[in-house]
Amino acid sequence: MIKLTIDNKEVEVEPGTTLLEAAEKIHINIPTLCYEEDLSIFGGCRLCVVETDSSDLLQPACATEAEEGMGVKTHSPRVREVRQTLFELIIASHDITCELNCLTCQRKKSCELREVAEDINISRMRLEPIYQGREKDYSSYSVAREPNKCITCDRCIRKCREVQDVGIFANSARGPETTVTTFQDKGLGNVECTNCGQCVISCPTGALHEVYHMDEVWNAIYDDSKHVIVQTAPAVRVAIAEPFGAEPGTVATGQMVEALRRLGFDGVFDTNFTADLTIMEEGTEVVERIKNNENLPVLTSCSPGWIKFIEHFYPEHLDNLSTAKSPQQMFGALARSYYAETVGVDPEDLVVVSIMPCTAKKFEARRPEMDGDVDYVLTTREAATMIKAAGIDICQLEEAEYDQLMGVSTGAGDIFAASGGVMEAALRSAYNLITGEELEELDIEPVRGLQGLKKAEVPVNSDLTLKVGVAHGLGNARKMMEMIKDGEEFHFVEFMACPGGCIGGGGQPISPYLSRKEVLERRRKGVYQIDSGKKLRRSHENPMVQKLYEDYLGQPGSHKAHKLLHTEYTPRDIH
Amino acid sequence: MVKEVEFLKGPELKNIEDYDFPGLHWALSLGPDKLIKEISEARLLGRGGAGFPTGTKWDLARQQKGDRKYFICNADEGEPGTYKDRYLMEQRPLKVLEGIIIGAYAVEANHGFIYIRGEYSRPIKIMKNIIEEAREAGVLGENIFDSGFDFNLRLVRGAGAYVCGDETALINSIEGKRGISRIKPPYPIQKGLFDQPTVVNNVESLACAAEILNKGAGEFASYGTENSRGTKLISLSGDVNYADIFEVEFGSCTLREIIEDLAGGVKGGREPKFVVPGGLSTAALTAEELDCKYSYEGIEEAGSSLGSGAIIVCRESRDLVDILLKVSRFYMDETCGTCFPCREGNRQINHMLTQHRNRTFSREEVELVEDIGEAIASAARCGLGQTSLSLISSIFDKFPHELIEEGVRT
Repeated sequence: MIKLTIDNKEVEVEPGTTLLEAAEKIHINIPTLCYEEDLSIFGGCRLCVVETDSSDLLQPACATEAEEGMGVKTHSPRVREVRQTLFELIIASHDITCELNCLTCQRKKSCELREVAEDINISRMRLEPIYQGREKDYSSYSVAREPNKCITCDRCIRKCREVQDVGIFANSARGPETTVTTFQDKGLGNVECTNCGQCVISCPTGALHEVYHMDEVWNAIYDDSKHVIVQTAPAVRVAIAEPFGAEPGTVATGQMVEALRRLGFDGVFDTNFTADLTIMEEGTEVVERIKNNENLPVLTSCSPGWIKFIEHFYPEHLDNLSTAKSPQQMFGALARSYYAETVGVDPEDLVVVSIMPCTAKKFEARRPEMDGDVDYVLTTREAATMIKAAGIDICQLEEAEYDQLMGVSTGAGDIFAASGGVMEAALRSAYNLITGEELEELDIEPVRGLQGLKKAEVPVNSDLTLKVGVAHGLGNARKMMEMIKDGEEFHFVEFMACPGGCIGGGGQPISPYLSRKEVLERRRKGVYQIDSGKKLRRSHENPMVQKLYEDYLGQPGSHKAHKLLHTEYTPRDIH
Repeated sequence: MVKEVEFLKGPELKNIEDYDFPGLHWALSLGPDKLIKEISEARLLGRGGAGFPTGTKWDLARQQKGDRKYFICNADEGEPGTYKDRYLMEQRPLKVLEGIIIGAYAVEANHGFIYIRGEYSRPIKIMKNIIEEAREAGVLGENIFDSGFDFNLRLVRGAGAYVCGDETALINSIEGKRGISRIKPPYPIQKGLFDQPTVVNNVESLACAAEILNKGAGEFASYGTENSRGTKLISLSGDVNYADIFEVEFGSCTLREIIEDLAGGVKGGREPKFVVPGGLSTAALTAEELDCKYSYEGIEEAGSSLGSGAIIVCRESRDLVDILLKVSRFYMDETCGTCFPCREGNRQINHMLTQHRNRTFSREEVELVEDIGEAIASAARCGLGQTSLSLISSIFDKFPHELIEEGVRT
């Protein structure tokens, strides 16, 4: 152990600990912008500089290791003075003009620049902002870039490269012209971006955000000739209260339903219903394919970021994907058929809105093979913004129930939100499909949790032990694919593009005050709490899913089910 | 009268047949330990600008373990006003090559690079030739001079970025990455080129090392002062009558004597307005401050730094604002753009100077230059960044009556 003194307080740390980590240990907050847990050290913003007795220069706390006997001052007059100047410089390079575009920025509450301004108590701003005049990038259906707001902290570059192992961003030009861009400046929509939106989560400013659908949804709601229905994804309910001040992981399902009804939606439904349905279709497909030893392992298909990833990087494995549509798209297809017919709405007048923890869902809704089933996709952040703009505080609402027809779900649908959840839900039903008996122990612990790669073996009968794998975060997805290519055998593998699964989706609220890990852990607990509190925890027990098959689809995997609920994939290039 | 010395300088030496590498032979017979001891005892300081002891660097590098070790000669001579490495590569390239091989042998590196700034087409041509000839003559390659030591040297041409003169940026550039500095630690000695232990030495340092081995540490140490051993190649430029490369013994003369005796005095015969003693990244000295001894410590005492040994002389009639603008433009264009203080600071200073319409600056403007100067000097990510405002800050400091309203320092 190493002993050092930070701000007159002694602290003991492991060798290799940085000054930033050592200070955190004794609850001293050092401001940072380019630092992010889980990413490599960049040392560019220099806001974390501290005074040490071993150098005349100020040292970046993020990149300086603690040394025995070191004396560190994190808020000395010199440090505070330099931080003020640095901050002035950063702000002048960020697009804040007399138009006060902070007020129109969607990151106004979660902007890290504002957080730093508070942390260092900025008291002066002497520099004229330098307008960079860079064009916005709206080439993608999912993620937009406003480069004038970019401070070039490179967190998006590192997130995409190091965590997601995709690497669509790079720096170009040099000096003050240094910019973050995509290959040949093609724009996010024209490169192998998976639309996962993890860059948005990492961005400290409003330079990266989803392509907003809020205006379109407002217009649809205000249009009396339209019948507007909404579906809410499993991971939204444990995060949507955060922008209203609640802790991450706060379960606000009923309040959210009430808020959406007040907003003016004509029907409020649950994507968890189609999550249960996905299990019926995908589970049936898995069992069939195992029986026929056909294109194994089966790879899940609910995460649109993962789908675009495999289309770009492993197109030779597209036959391994389950053909089942994602729950969002199953909902869209059923809304325009089953729902419209049942309630007697002209599908032309029907507007289908999704609330998703996800930016890639916006792209998915525009895929040509399914275009038009889901009209608009709001992220959890956008939904919260709209609810707020309607004068509603979600935390103050009574709980309400989903509309029945497509609003009932089992715990299996709920856990789709977390990494391992799709697998666990599938196993709960596959066991029944194969054996005709019910799996007794429903909590399948080996597939739960935040570790990146998970494997489990589930004995089904004397002939069959199911070998399953789970990967979340595209970096882990790539590792899993390489394992499969190297011959590791699985029957069924779950992939989710975002670390933690959908709870960590690129469309989820951004909490500048808690560590990423802590946020994910709390949301994860919320999800499993919902599941364990439900009476029905197996998808095949969902009475409304049973009714859907009885009244409309026939059997899982039927011709009609195939037509409505299954899809195909497109091999894509790498630029 | 100050006289030049000849330790590094000499007649053109380009034909490999004319040279039998006595220093290298001697080095190979000494073995790495004694060789490093020789360089350490000579107390050779790096000539690139930072002045780190070469012997210590080699000693640390020798102790490092790695799959491969790399030895790099930094010939990305980009500090404005500096052209002594060009002189060495054009006039004494075999000495440079000899220094590289000696250094590589000392740290037990079997692979090396010489990274030459892209604009240096003549030195590139010469060094390329020499490397080829040396390979054919067995001076490079396997089992050099039957010593059992293998060394391969490759030439890499820079692409025009000033910042690649920083050793970590240079390493990135060789790897094909953006020319931006790396965070230290790890130092290149621990984890450099392709993550392997790497030594980076300046051209002049290596030529010095070759001559120390040729002529003995004794001769080298007989030159100079206690803290500045040996001689220094000075690149003189600006408003002097004879701008050229001069070699002087450390501590044997003052800056004023160098300008007057060697460079023939200031053009027009008057006192200089100011002198930049060590390249564009060092603080200016006024005409009154030129009686300091030319040595690391002498110039430091005068409030500046010996830097790369480039002396730039400015005569009285030069327009200070114009100079400030040109200097700031250089640093704005050449900051690599990675760390915020250097990137935004140099941009803001240039912006302020470009917008400037008056002859003098307001107190607020000067305060801003000071604050940005402090932020850059104490918090920029690499050495090049940290010194990027040294000259501009010093000009404001030393000519307040000309530059600041009411002539009063705030």
